[in-house]
Amino acid sequence: MLKKIMLGGIAALALAACGNEGGNSAAGSASAPAQEQAGSLLDRINNQGTIIVGTEGTYAPFTYHDDAGKLTGYDVEVTRAVAEKLGVKVDFKETQWDAMLAGLKAGRFDLVANQVSLTTPERQATFDKSAEYSYSGPMAVNRKEDDRIKTLADVKGLSSAQSLSSNYGEMAEKAGAKIVPVDGMAQALALVQQSRADFTFNDSLALLDYLKKTPDSGLKTAWTAGADQKLGSGFIANKGNDEALAKISGAVEELRADGTLKQLGEQFFGEDVSVK
Amino acid sequence: MTEARAALVINAFWPMVKAGFVYSIPLALVSFVFGILIAVAVALVRIVPMGGIVHRLLLGVVKFYVSAIRGTPMLVQLMIVFYGLPAIGITLDPLPTAVIGFSLNIGAYASETIRAAILSVPKGQWEAGFTIGMTYMQTFRRIIMPQAFRVSVPPLSNTFISLFKETSLASVVTITELFRVAQQIANASYDFLPVYIEAGLVYWVFCFFLFIGQAKLEKRLDRYVAK
Repeated sequence: MLKKIMLGGIAALALAACGNEGGNSAAGSASAPAQEQAGSLLDRINNQGTIIVGTEGTYAPFTYHDDAGKLTGYDVEVTRAVAEKLGVKVDFKETQWDAMLAGLKAGRFDLVANQVSLTTPERQATFDKSAEYSYSGPMAVNRKEDDRIKTLADVKGLSSAQSLSSNYGEMAEKAGAKIVPVDGMAQALALVQQSRADFTFNDSLALLDYLKKTPDSGLKTAWTAGADQKLGSGFIANKGNDEALAKISGAVEELRADGTLKQLGEQFFGEDVSVK
Repeated sequence: MTEARAALVINAFWPMVKAGFVYSIPLALVSFVFGILIAVAVALVRIVPMGGIVHRLLLGVVKFYVSAIRGTPMLVQLMIVFYGLPAIGITLDPLPTAVIGFSLNIGAYASETIRAAILSVPKGQWEAGFTIGMTYMQTFRRIIMPQAFRVSVPPLSNTFISLFKETSLASVVTITELFRVAQQIANASYDFLPVYIEAGLVYWVFCFFLFIGQAKLEKRLDRYVAK
């Protein structure tokens, strides 16, 4: 009997100890970031607060982690430059592509900076875009020995590794390809390499950067869009942020005028991508 | 292994381990504690013969909860809490979202374990308690619970180990946990195999300590068991 009571006591103590520890750390983690969400994007810009920007963090050279683990990339550095112009702090939140626009819509982020071009009517109805800070065209990549794709029409019936709900996913679908859903460009390329998909569409700048970095990937450019098909990417915000977006666009134009965008383009791509 | 690969693997190690200590482990621990509290409450509602309309209502609620949680993927649950609830004016931060999602999940699964553990204690133990004049709650606390706790250690350890690994789902609610760090590193290098294997090993090593903890706890709780 006594032993059982002791045993029960030990169990209760163990539970109680765990309970305290758990309670404290949960309270600590819950309190800090809640404040930042208060107020509109315009308030935060006007009061020089912190803007929250959603991005993937896994889409080199637009948004990725360098060898030291620091978040960087063209879109990230443009965002930082814009924030500096506006006198605000920027807090990047990283998530997967498919969750990113959902997060923006749900008010998780103020802006998304991830090479978004707002091509579909559905997206244009939900979001607005700032002044464009980069221009690039779509490109298709496939295996070196595969010569089936010569024009855009040839992708019909082939399998295409794409992030769901990306421009390129829609493009592949429209062109009649079967979609193999992936999390991002790097996985898409891996699937093509492993013959689990025939090709992938993506941004020509990102793909050229990949082909340059991995010369023995076994992949090649299958098709490149003409210069007239270049898409412009900017910051994406929810509808109803006109005034805030105007300020952000103003900062983008200042950065274009003072050569910052050109310099960032050269840093990440070896060319100025801020002009069409 | 090429030099670049070796450097990749070496550079990836600390960021992964750090993310494990900062996010994966605390998330699992905190969620487990809350989850067990929920689970005990749910199990008691289902076992204790209270009767009455309030109890019947309560029973309906917990049965619905257990069924809904066990019947839907954790990913769906997290997405609903994080991206869905803001539509009705409830905006939770990433960490509370993850803790709520994981706790509710653990609560449902562990309630079944705890229910089974309590029911596994022979009825004679209850009767023994009552004959020496203990009340229902006294018998439960002093006689039934310690025995049930011992029985529930292996399955609850399983639940905790699963939870620790499933914290990788927290990346969809913008938490840069262990596996998201692995993805960041693999995507930047386009070299998946070594980084993902390394991530697997890091999870495994963490779990190894959990296995040891489980063995120690079992041994301790076995002290008074006649064999």
